Amino acid sequence: MPERGNALDSPRVGLFVTCLVDSMRPNVGFAAVALLKAAGCKVEIPLAQTCCGQPAFNSGADEATKPIARQVIETFEPFDYLVAPSGSCAGMIKAHYPELFADDPVWLERAKRLAGKTHELLSFLVDLRGFRPQNVACKASATYHDSCSGLRELGVKAQPRALLSSVEGLELRPLEGDETCCGFGGTFCVKYSDISNAIVGEKAQNVVATGADLLLGGDLGCLMNMAGKLSREGARTRVFHTAEILAGMSAYAIGEEATGAAGKEAK
Amino acid sequence: MSARNDIFAAIRKARHDGAAPATIISEAQACSQAMKRTLPPLDTSDLVGLFTARVSAEKVGATVERVAGLTDLPAAVGRYIAANALNTDFALQPDPRLEQLSWDNLRPGAPLRRDTALAVGLALGGIAETGSLIFHSGAEAPTLYGFLPLHHLVALDAQSLMPKLEDYAAFASGLPVPRNVNLVTGASGTTDIEGVLARGAHGPGNLHIVIFN
Amino acid sequence: MSAPAGTFQERVDKALGNAQLKVALERTTGNARRKRAAAVEAWPDFVAARAAAAAIKDHSIDHMAYYLEMFERNALASGAQVHWARDPDEACRIVIDICKAANAKTVTRSKSMLGEEIGLPHALADAGIRRVETDLAEHIIQLAGETPSHIIWPAAHRTREDVAILFDQYHREKPTAHDVVSMVGSARKELREDFFAADVGISGANFLCADTGAICTITNEGNAELTTTPPRVHIVTAGIEKIVASTEHALQLTRLLVRSATGADLTQYTTFHCGPKRPGDLDGPDQFHIVLVDHGRTEMLTEMPEMLRCLRCGACLNHCVVYRAIGGHAYGGAYPGPMGSVLTPVFDGLEQTRDLPSACTLNGQCRQVCPVDIPLPTMLRHWREQSWRAGYEPKTLRAAIGLWAYFAARPRLYQLAQAVALPAMRLFAKGGWISSLPLASGWTAARDLPKPPGESFLTSIRKGGTP
Repeated sequence: MPERGNALDSPRVGLFVTCLVDSMRPNVGFAAVALLKAAGCKVEIPLAQTCCGQPAFNSGADEATKPIARQVIETFEPFDYLVAPSGSCAGMIKAHYPELFADDPVWLERAKRLAGKTHELLSFLVDLRGFRPQNVACKASATYHDSCSGLRELGVKAQPRALLSSVEGLELRPLEGDETCCGFGGTFCVKYSDISNAIVGEKAQNVVATGADLLLGGDLGCLMNMAGKLSREGARTRVFHTAEILAGMSAYAIGEEATGAAGKEAK
Repeated sequence: MSARNDIFAAIRKARHDGAAPATIISEAQACSQAMKRTLPPLDTSDLVGLFTARVSAEKVGATVERVAGLTDLPAAVGRYIAANALNTDFALQPDPRLEQLSWDNLRPGAPLRRDTALAVGLALGGIAETGSLIFHSGAEAPTLYGFLPLHHLVALDAQSLMPKLEDYAAFASGLPVPRNVNLVTGASGTTDIEGVLARGAHGPGNLHIVIFN
Repeated sequence: MSAPAGTFQERVDKALGNAQLKVALERTTGNARRKRAAAVEAWPDFVAARAAAAAIKDHSIDHMAYYLEMFERNALASGAQVHWARDPDEACRIVIDICKAANAKTVTRSKSMLGEEIGLPHALADAGIRRVETDLAEHIIQLAGETPSHIIWPAAHRTREDVAILFDQYHREKPTAHDVVSMVGSARKELREDFFAADVGISGANFLCADTGAICTITNEGNAELTTTPPRVHIVTAGIEKIVASTEHALQLTRLLVRSATGADLTQYTTFHCGPKRPGDLDGPDQFHIVLVDHGRTEMLTEMPEMLRCLRCGACLNHCVVYRAIGGHAYGGAYPGPMGSVLTPVFDGLEQTRDLPSACTLNGQCRQVCPVDIPLPTMLRHWREQSWRAGYEPKTLRAAIGLWAYFAARPRLYQLAQAVALPAMRLFAKGGWISSLPLASGWTAARDLPKPPGESFLTSIRKGGTP
């Protein structure tokens, strides 16, 4: 795609697909692969990957997190870049792995090196690849939720909007409280389910109030939380990961059956 | 050991602070300077205009008028009393510069009481950045004149305006430390019920500033 | 006045079951968020200003002994009496002793969170001293027999309709109407007599200025000055971390504190109090006492020094999705919200309070709005780590995380388990959603779970070769 005069014209990208995408929504993984390829990257998907370790780390279980983190570091350090379709997981590797190994000079060095080449997918496409999708259309109105880790740890805000502005027919509507947490918070949402419910309830109201057909975002955890609440409340808003829209792979929204009821494509 | 000694021992155990006072002082100055560099730009060419704009903004909520000199204050007070339908006797801050003014048919001798309607005072200075009046307590400036009345009318010398809070700090560092420094920014208010601003909580509900040359 | 009772979960249940609470919290915190946003918008370099403010606080924390000694020296020279207290009991005892020596029947108090932290209201009640809260919000909750639920707006949990009921019931002169202005007018009349009947006035301090020995109070009602000027005795209670090098530093911090709290440029009354009545003074207290309290702060110098920067502006509460959902009483301590969840374990012990740092989504907005850039999420996670190490976390959670981590560190084993779990989960789906799933009720109680695919992404990749 972009003609950039550096040594990484065709960088080797290791896709860290994230545990949620792997288990719950492979379509986001396929969309990420398609986008990275369109942006001129050589994409590889190491099979020896599971999770970044956040559930343990955010529970305070540092010792349980370390073997998981070491394995991510070992698996992904051969690549030019680690790219993940999630600000939360990329933020974990970028910001928190060095914190986790603060007292271990050898692994700290390796963690820092990996942190330096770890990126969230949408910001990687824009900031490092100068990528814009071409010939992608989606005739719908959409609103956008800025997931917290991507927004505050990695500065992901303008990039997804820049990418979506190249999607033909897509109308982006402002969301009241777009930078306010949706109440997911990883294990928080099951440990303090009722508080989380109150938070995501308010978020769902704000989403519905936009009247948008679609809710988009860059983190599957938050998207599943909001989609699940919208479904429970009987709202008609369809929820996608931004990568799915950008790659034109938006036939079925979160919670829509991949077989059966046809004609629900996001157009 | 006494609590004092225990606390200092605990602090020193946590912070081995071997810095020389001169180093600490220059570090403190560097901190202030660093903060000054971040401040929003402020056009200080017209301090009276800046002060007036700030102090009469909705969130400060005072009223301002300009007169030629301090001798015009009694007339301004008379107008204020008439406009607000107040009694002609009021409490006057015991500052000789106010007491020697010719008050004519007004009666400035009322003692300051808990239900005083109007007190008239003289500010030591003003801060344009925030629209604040400066009072240093003392025999000629008791603290409560600014807190008990429902209406506080304050004379402010245009020459005494300073641009920013830091300028006040520099100004004050050259004076004896008073018992009370009161920086008064608008009339008393509260947002304690639902975050909605209401005036006249405990202090004056109305602040009127008369700027003189 | 009663402190919130029960377990964290019980308090949360109570809060979430109270629809009025959400209305009240949203009115107060919503107003605060909008006003703060406007104030910050007008300060283009606000991010740099936060860093500068953090540096100013760090400077006084780094040289805390030097500045506290200087403060004490200057305060004594002004005629103040300085007392030191290691813990809440000692602090309360000092205050009560001063009150008793002054033969005090009635004390007025101007809002001080440190007073709440050390349990001063209780101590005064135990000593048989009548306490009159003069801050409007503190007055409201004193009438209601409650504790504060917010550090800036202690009555944030009360709607104006609630306040009207309280004032109608208790005020000698009832409000003429139930709009906010009329009710404020009624409180003004109600409290006026007490300002002059009090023998002792008690305040907190926003800053202790080392260069002058003055303490600084910041209020918008004017109640601090009316509390501290007419009585014979003024007692200040303050945490030792309130120390700053100078008046200049105090004013520079006030700029950020006030914008972050209420969105104003400066609160109506920024007052520096330095010692008792002087010769010639027509008003002012005969005695001026300053009680400086440690209560865990010297330990925080090592464990979490950044938390000592806290200016108590309340911005982290107003922007916290959890606080906005459950309100301050659910936290169970003097300080709620993110800053409270960091502080309360220091004061009350982690074992009793381990839920507080856990009940947080770590979304980072608290840090973003903090005027002194306290890394609150990092500190909350730090408490979780300590709680995990100390074995305070529930056994079921420890087992679940332990088991999950075992698999997560072994990709092949993980993928085998996943290959069993995904099809099993699909059995619970109806259409594209699962509305109830064993072992996942934490999720499905609140929201539907999308039906997982028949096979994982990595399985598809393995079967299909390279992408």
